[in-house]
Amino acid sequence: MTTQEIAPTDDFGIAEASRTNLWKDAVARLAANKLAVIGIIPIILLFFIAIFGPYLTPYDFLAQDFTARLAAPSSEHWLGTDELGRDVFSRILYGARTAVAVGLVSTAISLIVGLIMGSLAGYLGGRVDMLVVWLTDMTRSMPALLLAIVINLTLKVPLEAWMEQMYLATKNGFFRQTMWVDLVLVFGALALIQWPGYARLIRGQILSIRSRNYVLAARALGMPTGRILTRYVIPNAMGPLIVAVSAGLGGAMVLESAFSFLGVGVQLPIPSWGKMISDGLRMWQTHPYLLAGPAVMMAIITVSFAWLGDGLNDALNPRQWGG
Amino acid sequence: MGQYILRRILYWIPALLLLALSVYAMAFFGAGDPIKLMFLREEGDVTYDAQRLDAIRREKGLDRPFLVQFGEYTWHLVQGDLGMSVISGRSVNDMIGATAPVSFQIGLATVILVALLGIPLGIIAGLNHNNWVDNSILGSALFISGIPSYVVGPMLMVFLVLGLGIMKTTPYGWEGLFSKKAILPMFVMVFGSIAIIIRQTRSGVLEVLSEDYVRTARAKGVPEFMVIVRHMLRPVLTPVVTVLGQMLIGIVNGAIIVEKIFGIPGLGRLTIDFTYGVDYPVIVAITLIGAFLVMALNLLVDITYPLLDPRAAQAMTGVEE
Repeated sequence: MTTQEIAPTDDFGIAEASRTNLWKDAVARLAANKLAVIGIIPIILLFFIAIFGPYLTPYDFLAQDFTARLAAPSSEHWLGTDELGRDVFSRILYGARTAVAVGLVSTAISLIVGLIMGSLAGYLGGRVDMLVVWLTDMTRSMPALLLAIVINLTLKVPLEAWMEQMYLATKNGFFRQTMWVDLVLVFGALALIQWPGYARLIRGQILSIRSRNYVLAARALGMPTGRILTRYVIPNAMGPLIVAVSAGLGGAMVLESAFSFLGVGVQLPIPSWGKMISDGLRMWQTHPYLLAGPAVMMAIITVSFAWLGDGLNDALNPRQWGG
Repeated sequence: MGQYILRRILYWIPALLLLALSVYAMAFFGAGDPIKLMFLREEGDVTYDAQRLDAIRREKGLDRPFLVQFGEYTWHLVQGDLGMSVISGRSVNDMIGATAPVSFQIGLATVILVALLGIPLGIIAGLNHNNWVDNSILGSALFISGIPSYVVGPMLMVFLVLGLGIMKTTPYGWEGLFSKKAILPMFVMVFGSIAIIIRQTRSGVLEVLSEDYVRTARAKGVPEFMVIVRHMLRPVLTPVVTVLGQMLIGIVNGAIIVEKIFGIPGLGRLTIDFTYGVDYPVIVAITLIGAFLVMALNLLVDITYPLLDPRAAQAMTGVEE
């Protein structure tokens, strides 16, 4: 009786201690990495701007000031105005919303799809595994931007036609906002590009963790599958997944802007940094600040994500340390 | 080995066919009518009448059912004919022939330059682990590669032309790989992907440094340079080759953007110009070429791998990744 009483508490204590140590260690390692700490600041700022941006902007992103078209940066318009007299600074702040929203939603979609497909492949194996691996290989062998351009240009017309039909049938004003078509297409394209990465990562994690000795031992001792999952598989798979999601968030924002840059992204009036850069590119020699504002912003954010991702990788995957 | 290559190539056929089918179907059912779009764009929406459109459609064979058209397209495709552009009426083979060499030159030059610059830099960084040399190489590489090419390109233009006044005008267009105009696009391409190689080489060097055979070689008094070339390079290069292969998709993506920024008449420009007109033979051709390239280059990487690492030769058959 006494052993039975002691065993669970002892077991519990060890599990708790080791878990907190794992994350404490990771946080300590991350905090020791100067570049990662520097990288976190702009990212936090970005999320702050994305949430509260509309309350911070001096002007509305659509407000036009015809007396000050293409104005140079001044105390009135910090980063100047574009050819329609819209304040560039305000548009950049609103653009943060587009970047963050697209990044979060598309990462969430692709993560869910990747989780489902990856765990199906990892657990079921056999035919299902082969099919998932083949699908991911297929998707990954397509250049992402090409895929996005094709998807956008081919599916936009029928989707818009469908929306119009739905509007005529239901008279619901929702179907008149073509903005949703853009968003659906951009999210769809991003999710399609990104899910294979997550699926392969999760499949690989499941395959490798499941064959580890400690899982084998736990199974031999009769630990229920649910417990094995929560105690061993999920905590061990978490590190690489967090690294991947952090990289994926940054990647999704970069891709979203790339789409906009190529003209297949979210269409105006919602400002997008990529679109602002490609618009600014048309008159960069006479009005370089139109280009410089969003470009510098984009550069800061992407570099921050790269540094943070690097720090997270070092902090959460210590086994990858060389030397 | 020959059997392995053959099996891999056979595996491409269903993949490419499925890709062709899905892109063709998406363009056919989704994108709308290329003839109508052509008229809308060129003459305004007033002048087209249904009869004229029908006549053109019949003439181009676009009025037939989907499967017939796709079957015909596939039949020509098997024979190496990519069809006719609906909009320009030119042979897609010619269009690809005119643009592909430019893109291939850029891509190949990028890979070569990335390898030539990235591997030595990675080795230097690895040998100087955690001192200022390592930090500055890795930090600046991460910095430049972190910024997307559509930001680096325009910013460099502003900086070089307006800021420093080194260049007089924008480098726009293409005059061959060895002309001055190619410098900026190549810079953007190379520095967009060099960080991956530097990092991979660096961590490879760090791993090898603690190996017994390196210590033995040093203890024997082998000169440091020879230790690097004879003992360290080979195990370090093996994963680097794989990473070079993985970079290729990134290079294709980068080329699309760089070609747009600098007005280079390559495959990327062709893609952007013709997908807006829903010219499906061109769209399908470009997607197929893109996918084919990636698959072919991946195979090439997989074949080179066992040459560098004999252990991989044994495990090669039937192993993915």
